[in-house]
Amino acid sequence: MNDELIELEEEEYTSNLTTPVFKRIVGLMKPHMNWVIGFFITIALTSCGDAYFTYLNKGMVDSGISLGNSAVVMHIATIYGSLILCQAVTVFCFVYLAGVLGERIQYDLRKMMFNHLQELSLSYYSQNAVGRLIARVTSDSGRVADLMTWGVVDTTWAFMNITTSLIFMAIINWKLALIVSVIIPVMVVIAVQFRKRILVEFRNSRRANSKITGAYNENIQGVRVVKALQREDENLKEFQVLTDTMYRASYRAAWLSALFLPTVQIIAAIALGVIVWYSGDQIMVGAMTIGGINAFVSYLTFMMWPVQDLARVYAEMQHSIASAERIFKLIDTPPEVHDRPDAVPAKTILGEIEFDHVEFYYEDRNPVLSDFTLKVNAGETIALVGPTGGGKSTIVNLLCRFYEPRSGVIRINGRDYTEYTMESIHSRIGIVLQTPHLFSGTVCENIRYGRLDASNAEVESAAKIAGAHDFIVTLEKSYDQNVGEGGNLLSVGQKQLISLARAVLAKPELFIMDEATSSVDTLTEALIQRGMEALMKGRTSFVVAHRLSTIRRANRIIVIEGGKITEQGTHAELLRARGHYYRLYTQQFRHELEVQYGVMDKEEENEDVVAD
Amino acid sequence: MTAITPSSKYFDFRNALTKNRVAGIWRMMSDFRLPYLGATAALAISATAKTCTYLLLGYFADKVLTQQIYIAGTLNKTLALIGAGFVFSAAIEGSFSYLSGRLAAYTAEGITRRLRDFLFDHIQRLSFSYHSQTPTGDLIERVTSDVDALRRFFSEQAIGMGRIILLFVINWAAILFVNRTLGLISVVVIPFILLVSLWFFTKVNKRYEEYQAQEAILSTTLQENLTGVRVVKAFARQEYEKGKFEKDNWAKYLKGRLLLIMQSLFWPLSDVVLGFQMLFGFVFAAMMAIRGEITIGDYLVYVGLVGWLIFPIRNLGRTIVQASTGMVSYGRLMEIVKQTREPLTEGRVQPEGPVRGDIVFDDVSFMYEDGKIDALKNISFHIKPGQSIALLGSTGSGKTSLVNLLPRFHDYTGGHILLDGVELKDYPREYLRQQIGIVQQEPFLFSRSIRENIMYGVGRSVSNEEIERAAKAAAIHDVVLTFPDGYNTLVGEKGVTLSGGQKQRVTIARTLLKNPRILILDDSMSSIDTETEAEIRAALSKLMEDRTTFIIAHRIQSVMDADLILVLDKGQVIQMGTHEELVAHEAGIYRQIYDIQTRIDEELENEISRVN
Repeated sequence: MNDELIELEEEEYTSNLTTPVFKRIVGLMKPHMNWVIGFFITIALTSCGDAYFTYLNKGMVDSGISLGNSAVVMHIATIYGSLILCQAVTVFCFVYLAGVLGERIQYDLRKMMFNHLQELSLSYYSQNAVGRLIARVTSDSGRVADLMTWGVVDTTWAFMNITTSLIFMAIINWKLALIVSVIIPVMVVIAVQFRKRILVEFRNSRRANSKITGAYNENIQGVRVVKALQREDENLKEFQVLTDTMYRASYRAAWLSALFLPTVQIIAAIALGVIVWYSGDQIMVGAMTIGGINAFVSYLTFMMWPVQDLARVYAEMQHSIASAERIFKLIDTPPEVHDRPDAVPAKTILGEIEFDHVEFYYEDRNPVLSDFTLKVNAGETIALVGPTGGGKSTIVNLLCRFYEPRSGVIRINGRDYTEYTMESIHSRIGIVLQTPHLFSGTVCENIRYGRLDASNAEVESAAKIAGAHDFIVTLEKSYDQNVGEGGNLLSVGQKQLISLARAVLAKPELFIMDEATSSVDTLTEALIQRGMEALMKGRTSFVVAHRLSTIRRANRIIVIEGGKITEQGTHAELLRARGHYYRLYTQQFRHELEVQYGVMDKEEENEDVVAD
Repeated sequence: MTAITPSSKYFDFRNALTKNRVAGIWRMMSDFRLPYLGATAALAISATAKTCTYLLLGYFADKVLTQQIYIAGTLNKTLALIGAGFVFSAAIEGSFSYLSGRLAAYTAEGITRRLRDFLFDHIQRLSFSYHSQTPTGDLIERVTSDVDALRRFFSEQAIGMGRIILLFVINWAAILFVNRTLGLISVVVIPFILLVSLWFFTKVNKRYEEYQAQEAILSTTLQENLTGVRVVKAFARQEYEKGKFEKDNWAKYLKGRLLLIMQSLFWPLSDVVLGFQMLFGFVFAAMMAIRGEITIGDYLVYVGLVGWLIFPIRNLGRTIVQASTGMVSYGRLMEIVKQTREPLTEGRVQPEGPVRGDIVFDDVSFMYEDGKIDALKNISFHIKPGQSIALLGSTGSGKTSLVNLLPRFHDYTGGHILLDGVELKDYPREYLRQQIGIVQQEPFLFSRSIRENIMYGVGRSVSNEEIERAAKAAAIHDVVLTFPDGYNTLVGEKGVTLSGGQKQRVTIARTLLKNPRILILDDSMSSIDTETEAEIRAALSKLMEDRTTFIIAHRIQSVMDADLILVLDKGQVIQMGTHEELVAHEAGIYRQIYDIQTRIDEELENEISRVN
């Protein structure tokens, strides 16, 4: 599912404001109370000022022009001028304060979530797709920040505007003001109904839009198949169904929006008509003036805008609250694997490592490892072999303490490893993953990830040990070459070499490697093998092995099937036994030689054209 | 599925190709010009009605309130009439504003739908070379973002400019009509404000892009962190990652704040300028009213209208800047539109009925458009209907290039290919592709149901029995039955993930349904486990019956039965013959490859005997 669809799906959720959620949302504003108070005050002042302008105009007409008094006109003009200047200041303040508060809250939320994500265990990541987590950090935070700033601004402004307008109208003529106050709820209800419908159509159109993007994507990626099978006309017809849905939804959203404002305006005009009709008596008794009528027209026009804003905020509020709840849920999730309160830093992890009757299952509760026992001596190289899903990666995950055993104990130097701090274990492990993961930035930065305070010379010597130096210097900018997003400008083999160098630089006491299954060219392959050899020297190593050379080099080979050790021993011992290992080995032997002799094409490299 | 006749909505945007962008946009609007002009006219009526409201107010103040002239005899009836007048003009204003919005949306959405349909179709009809040179991401970006920018041009920007200009013209005319001097003094700052807002929004646009770019950087950091969570944890780099995210997050905050400062300075400052312009007009008009040069009603009209004249001008600057990005998008889209399509039906012969499948290559050469190296050189062979030919060679030897010539995905650049004695280039592409079936090594399946994937591109209605029969023959039926929804199971992200071998068998079933005379088989067993290998072999040989077959071979086993074997290297045939002939030739490369199989077994025995 693409990220856009995830986002859309989550937007569908609405939630009502509960007191705890409300308190937490307010709590987010606490550190920035000065700004919050500032913008409440300035927005209140702004809307009072707006209403006062109209009142000044009335004075201009009634006390100035009608009475022919130019001194009053000049006097009012002076107040008017000063008010313009004051308004400039308050408008500046509330736009800036509300905006900066929004940016800041988004910043705070993102920081909170990101920092918490760093602490969460791998189990959390396996249950939550990366796309969803990204949506949480990027869009949900934005939606909450919007609610807390522009939502609040619009609501406050709307309430203030309507209230001050009503007050001034009541001052001018309270009976007529009463008529106006009757139509306000009607306007609000209509506006909210409109907004809700518009929002629904808007979402429909976005959903259609993401389907359209998907269709484009698939058709462009599969264009060769489309051509070969001559599916063009049929595909166009199917696509037109999508664009039709899109058309209907967005057209409806657009004309509903176009209908919305006029409806509110006509209601306001009806009120105005009633006022004019009714004003006759009031004028007779002198309770209403020309300037007064004019002011009523202005106030009625003014009140329409806030009603619109109010409706929008209300329609979107429930979705924003759902966003807030998701954010709080993330922040509240405790990390499954964490330091015990009495944890001590491990001085070294170079020593005996023991799996003692370890049992493990993932969240789905299907047993992965059961009654797993293994003792490894310091400096030993262990090759883990066996079919996919047998439990090899789980052993690595447990060893790295990404997960902890459900029962049983893992001991390092005779001590339960949960008695150590995670940091002290992790900082002594060097790991190379099956699919090497690099970060955007230069080659040098990526290697330095292994040890942040390493000098350039150290980075280079690590690269030399890992066998990465030779290819790095052929890059245009050598160590300063940008590797692209996720290292995508480099080949798989090159990424592996760099992640090896990264592990070398970390000077680990325990080296863990999940060997890649995909093949790389022979030269790179040889370099990787040499780099691994250098890394394994003098340390305990666990390798999830696929290559014969790696397997042969191991001190001990552990065959794992169905979460259990089915065979273990040296290469020679196991071959002689002619069991599982023998079969696995001969199969791999044939495969590797076939590749080596060029009979088989390697899976990774496709020819440049049709092979899709 | 809704039946849609493409012709009614299909517009060939190649007709809109022109150097002048404005002219191009005008051409794109064909069929929509009248509605769009209607939208503009409705806007004018709506704006006029608004102006009339204020004129009515002036009349009310002068004639009724001041001079006490009653239209229908009594004050009350007059007031009722005037009140009704307000409601009436609001109704006119509202309904025409709605009409205008609806017509503009009709135009914008209609043009966009047409454009989407056209682009989808156009792209799938562009040549193979275009697709291999153009990154998918770039195309997607254009067909989504740029299309949307163009939609906004029609729905918001063009009509928005029209609205502001109409408001200005109509209200100014009304004020000039009331009093010429007043009209002239009211627009003094307009050119200045327009220029300043143009300048400002150009700047803000730039800053906004920077802000968005920073947001993208932040997303990348987040994405890389989340996908690389194991690396982060294994190196205990949580704090470092927090720092990295903090840096990007803070930079985004600062960029947002800068944008806010700009915004919150511009609006109040321009408020001051426009406010004083208004005040100046008010005082001027008030003095004129006191001196009796205008009536009090004129004053009210002026006060009411001048705001609609002055304030929207600021937004004109913004709209113009935004519209210019719409123009850029138009240019980017036209770069796709101007590409020439692959002519599918063009051909000197228009054969009816199936081909026999007699193929002659006579000194065929082929060079890709970049023209650096010959992909194929001097290839000659003859293959009779129903025979099979195997192509053997390493990656890049030209196997794929050779078979790509047959459906005319690419056209050969030298020599002749004769199909049933007729030059291949004389056949229409459409006809050839009907006659040729392709089974890929790693086939591309579409994210729809298995059933639809099997039916994909067959081009006739197929019964369920037929689909199942094909699936059985392709040895995929039993696999499909194990899926939750059987043949209705979706393939891909939202459904099941098929293995390479399963995908291949789905395409075999598809090809069986298509029943082509010529078959291209990318025969790789690398992705298939041993149990299914025999089944697939059987399925394949069933498929090959009575068809002229090209096999891209990766193993000797799949070559041995072929009627002709070509060994390719660097685009040239280095050996040709049947299995028996080639094996007999001891110095030949074919014999060497053949021998490897035996050698592998020997080496394995050696290895095992060494450990014993």
